[in-house]
Amino acid sequence: MPCNCLISRRTMIRRLAAGATGGLILWLFPPGLASGLERTGGAKRPYYAYAVDVSRCIGCCACMRACRAENDVPEGRFRTWVERYRVSASGQVQVDAATKDDFVFQESPADNIVKAFFVPKLCNHCEKSVCSQVCPVGATYTTPEGVVLVDGKRCIGCGYCVQACPYGTRFIHPVTHTADKCTFCYHRITKGQPPACVLACPKGARIYGDLNDPTSRLSTLLKQRRFRVLKPEMGTHPKCYYLDLDIEVI
Amino acid sequence: MVKPGKENANQSKVRPDYRHAYPVVVLVCLMVAGALTIRHYLVPKTFGDLGFYRAAAIDDAKARQPRYVGRAACAECHDDVAAIHAKDAHSSVECETCHGPGSEHIANSDVAMIRADSKESCLVCHRMLDARPGSFPQVDWQKHFQFVGVSDTNVVCIRCHSPHEPLYMDRDLHEARLHPLVHDCGECHIGRTDTSLKQPAGHPMIFQCAYCHKDLAASFAKGAHAKVGCKTCHLFIRDTSFSGRIVRNTDPRFCLLCHRKTDFRSASGTPTIDWPSHIRDVSDDPADPKRPCVNCHQEQIHEMYSKEKLHAM
Repeated sequence: MPCNCLISRRTMIRRLAAGATGGLILWLFPPGLASGLERTGGAKRPYYAYAVDVSRCIGCCACMRACRAENDVPEGRFRTWVERYRVSASGQVQVDAATKDDFVFQESPADNIVKAFFVPKLCNHCEKSVCSQVCPVGATYTTPEGVVLVDGKRCIGCGYCVQACPYGTRFIHPVTHTADKCTFCYHRITKGQPPACVLACPKGARIYGDLNDPTSRLSTLLKQRRFRVLKPEMGTHPKCYYLDLDIEVI
Repeated sequence: MVKPGKENANQSKVRPDYRHAYPVVVLVCLMVAGALTIRHYLVPKTFGDLGFYRAAAIDDAKARQPRYVGRAACAECHDDVAAIHAKDAHSSVECETCHGPGSEHIANSDVAMIRADSKESCLVCHRMLDARPGSFPQVDWQKHFQFVGVSDTNVVCIRCHSPHEPLYMDRDLHEARLHPLVHDCGECHIGRTDTSLKQPAGHPMIFQCAYCHKDLAASFAKGAHAKVGCKTCHLFIRDTSFSGRIVRNTDPRFCLLCHRKTDFRSASGTPTIDWPSHIRDVSDDPADPKRPCVNCHQEQIHEMYSKEKLHAM
């Protein structure tokens, strides 16, 4: 019997199946990446960022101890850490960090050091955060205040974000087996208190503030001082601004 | 052969046969129902409200209680310590930086804070390291012990230096005089030990106190204190890249940091004095423990500016 339909059975089945599959995928995983790309703070809402005054850091690592005490960071993992850069006359750069014994830097003899300084590192809370873009389940996200957080209940511990972060600020928590990192002390800043590392820093080398408030200390510093960000070539638009940072720092 | 016009006429009369599509429609309906069911169980309730994430996770993150409480909370009970701490050199250091987070102690005063009374608690910040900014006070404690004549290596820093008022400043830090930035060599030349570089020809000397205060520096070099630097007593607190505040410390307890007689300090070397019996011996007014040492001992430091000259500066 010749087919007198408008389209063949085979084509109809194929199109229906394709439509159903596409619809299913869009329904289950709606395209929401744009939320991480927009500057969502708005005029009234704070938009938090961080600055590190490298010239003020004395390498006491009070920030690391405070972060540990405030956030129960497991041993051997770090949400923030302090690196020591030492540059010799020949231009050789030595980098180390105090990761053991209560985070105390010891003087280790080195020849011909012409320049040495400390650089605190932490999550950069990037405007275009790669970690949230690679997360397959939407466990890493950017809050309306510009803070990049991990939803521990949602995370499946695949570790994509740990590999994607160009700054090495993420780790898999050995107990919960989910991704973990600096939360900017979200539970503190939303109550009007500074992050624990900012509070503990004895020299005011760590500064946090609201970019939407032109009178905040952070906004003022970024207007007055010279600064740069880490790895700008990665296109992540990090919101951790380093004042007086040397070219050796990566 | 059928004429095209006749076939068209036939088709308009015969309804298209959709029966073959029924199983597909049923299948699609089942798939949609299945997807709805799976989605209901897999996707959390607030997922997608604000973006590609669970909006309720924000509330979870907010819910935690802070453990570090800040110095204002400490000062509610320890107002006496807070008052002296706020005026001395450690004023930028939060209580909890040394004593640990305070929330549990506030909830239950039986929970003790960290005492931070070991030598290491101070050396965490003040150990001499080449990477530390030169303007930050650092100590090689073994050399320092030698310098002040302490032979017992178990003596802790706080036997002499009060952690809350380490310099016994006689005025509020913020009331100190503004002064252009004065550099030490070590602030730029970190870790340089080559003595041939100490006086390089053609190097600007504007970075030293003596460049402006020539007469004072000359009389200071003749005195007994020549081996300590200007900034030992004239504490310099850096404000900006260009200026700082300078404190002329005349609190007698500041002099006693070096000159107090203690059981752990040897008699040879730095002259030491019994305190406060000394002030009772020399002063007519026994209720005068704050009398500055320089009132009597100025010739051992350097020539002093008169008040008129100071005001003219």
